[in-house]
Amino acid sequence: MTSFRRRGLLLLIAAACLSAMPGSAQTASSDASPPSILVSRQLANRAHLTIGEVVTLATNQAGTSGRSFKVAGIYEPTPDPMRFTVERLEARLHLADLVGLIADPADPGTTDAVDAINIRLVNPADAEHFADELSARVPGLDVRSTSRPPDGDPFQVLDRFHLAISLVTVAGSTAFLLALMIIRAEERRETVGAMRLLGISRRSLLLEVAVEGVLIASAGAVFGALMAFGAEGIVNRVFQARYDTTLVFVRITRSIALRSLAIAVPLGVGVGIGASWTLLRRNILSLVGR
Amino acid sequence: MTSLWLAWRTVQRYRARTLLAMAGVAVIGALLFDMLLLSHGLVASFADLLNHSGYDVRVFSAQGVLLARTPIPHASELSAALERLPEVDSVARIRLARATTVGENGSDLEVAVVGSSHTGARVAWRVTKGADLPIDAGSADRCSVLAGRNLAAALKLQPGATLPMRAGARGEGSALPTVPCRVVGIAESPFTAAGEYDVLTTMQGLHEIGGGSIEPDSADLVFVASRADSGSAAAVRAIAALRPDMRVYSNDDVIEQFNRNGFAYFRQISFVLSSITVVFTFLLVATILTVSTNQRLGEIAALRALGISRRRIAAMVLWESVLIVGGGGLVALPLGGLVAIGLDRILKQMPGVPDALHFFVFESNAVALHAVLLATTAVVAAGYPIWLTARLPIASTLRREVIG
Repeated sequence: MTSFRRRGLLLLIAAACLSAMPGSAQTASSDASPPSILVSRQLANRAHLTIGEVVTLATNQAGTSGRSFKVAGIYEPTPDPMRFTVERLEARLHLADLVGLIADPADPGTTDAVDAINIRLVNPADAEHFADELSARVPGLDVRSTSRPPDGDPFQVLDRFHLAISLVTVAGSTAFLLALMIIRAEERRETVGAMRLLGISRRSLLLEVAVEGVLIASAGAVFGALMAFGAEGIVNRVFQARYDTTLVFVRITRSIALRSLAIAVPLGVGVGIGASWTLLRRNILSLVGR
Repeated sequence: MTSLWLAWRTVQRYRARTLLAMAGVAVIGALLFDMLLLSHGLVASFADLLNHSGYDVRVFSAQGVLLARTPIPHASELSAALERLPEVDSVARIRLARATTVGENGSDLEVAVVGSSHTGARVAWRVTKGADLPIDAGSADRCSVLAGRNLAAALKLQPGATLPMRAGARGEGSALPTVPCRVVGIAESPFTAAGEYDVLTTMQGLHEIGGGSIEPDSADLVFVASRADSGSAAAVRAIAALRPDMRVYSNDDVIEQFNRNGFAYFRQISFVLSSITVVFTFLLVATILTVSTNQRLGEIAALRALGISRRRIAAMVLWESVLIVGGGGLVALPLGGLVAIGLDRILKQMPGVPDALHFFVFESNAVALHAVLLATTAVVAAGYPIWLTARLPIASTLRREVIG
């Protein structure tokens, strides 16, 4: 029998979905065997729990007035991006069992108290209206939609933060790319001069640079996207191991890859043409060093 | 002619590419600088914010979960007991509630009400206009409030104005009467978030606003200032021994917990992006130097043929790298400062982030680390071009360049 005596180690969650638990709370309490609980994978690992083991749960450090429960299963907690740094040491109990564990016999009100009630609406689009109406009808209740709030969503703020960082990176990369393309254009100065002497027009040479730019920029963008795809798995594995969670930290979607291509290719072509133009606008004789 | 002079002549000759490379280093260096500021900025700012309150220990009820703790009953008894401890200098009780007032257009406006056993100045509310909050015993008003800056601006409140307040959140039905509170002053709290409306009132005022439903002798939080000769750790131990039914944290405990949990995301992103920017700068400077050196192989071979030593040529390439990275790095500091202001403004749009909290905080350590990282990058990036010039065969290179 294992006792959990460490304060704050365990978060008890009353299971609202009774179907997830074997047997009902009614049966569990009337039966001679202890009622069933589910424990999170993290808690099972930390406390070396196995299915079928009987544990004692108590609400105080001393373990007094604790009750015995049988571990009916081990579950993976739903990943929560708002709490990914928190170690998920949790157990799920039938609501009646949890109330029996924490209720104060001297206060009958505590035997019929819950912290929250989850409601599934027939039409989820009515959530805001329903919340307003229920708040108005039942004073003292805090009624909220479980969907993301339209204003002040922290993930939208993080999106904007990442976008700003991307823009700074693109600005820095553009300066470097321009420097490289100018060096490259300088390298080809005599070749370009010779081609101009042979009668090839500036327009044709610019077109050639543009086509070359499209090919190089496309290849670079595809290579970048492939690198990102490769890094996705590594980053996720590292952070999932670091925080012991199944949360996905990085996901390269099709739209992100296409957006990167849409930025990289025109930028590469534009920079290539810009760098070549400084060469092409020169006099033919200066190009061949005369 | 020194190596530095040779490098200077080279960068002057290829001015456009040098300036562009410097611009690239400046932008990427600015991002690196920002990530270094972010790596510790939020924690430093959070610590500053907590210490700004003037109290270094916080006492909560052990009942309830982290964000919904049960209020401490008989809080004045607890305060008196804590004040008697030799490790404790002063104690302040805080009670929080939500209330509604009437907006300019007649709609409900939700207000966070902070009830305090002390005046505003004692709980870090800086009065900007009017008078400070009277302590309960000296107050003739049923409900005196210090209006927060945001609320005062939204309702154009002035000291002496009447602020109707009713307990409960916006949209919530309530049978409680509206209480006319008197605005004694306008004040700023460092804990107020942008767009958040708040008022500070006395415990009696909070009791009035709550229509008697909020027990005046209760507290959500008790602030404790430890004596300077004891320190917060000793005060925490003494309070925990006195009242084992309470949760007691020093500011250092709270900061440590915040650093471990709440700040983890920003620390990770700072580490990842700092590493990427350093690698990125190295790759790009190394590429530009290598291509540039390859382009000037004939020139370098000619310098060698004139008797300039291999070591001086290598030093010249190193100086070129230092000039590009150093020039860009210097520009990166003010540029990074500007970018940090913009990024800080974006991140402060997160809900509940106090106005006084900053994600990017200037620290001299960050400047020093920035300089070390860029200097190392400059040296490492010059490695391959230096190797190229060091093993350059003079005669065959000159011959190839002349024939070419």
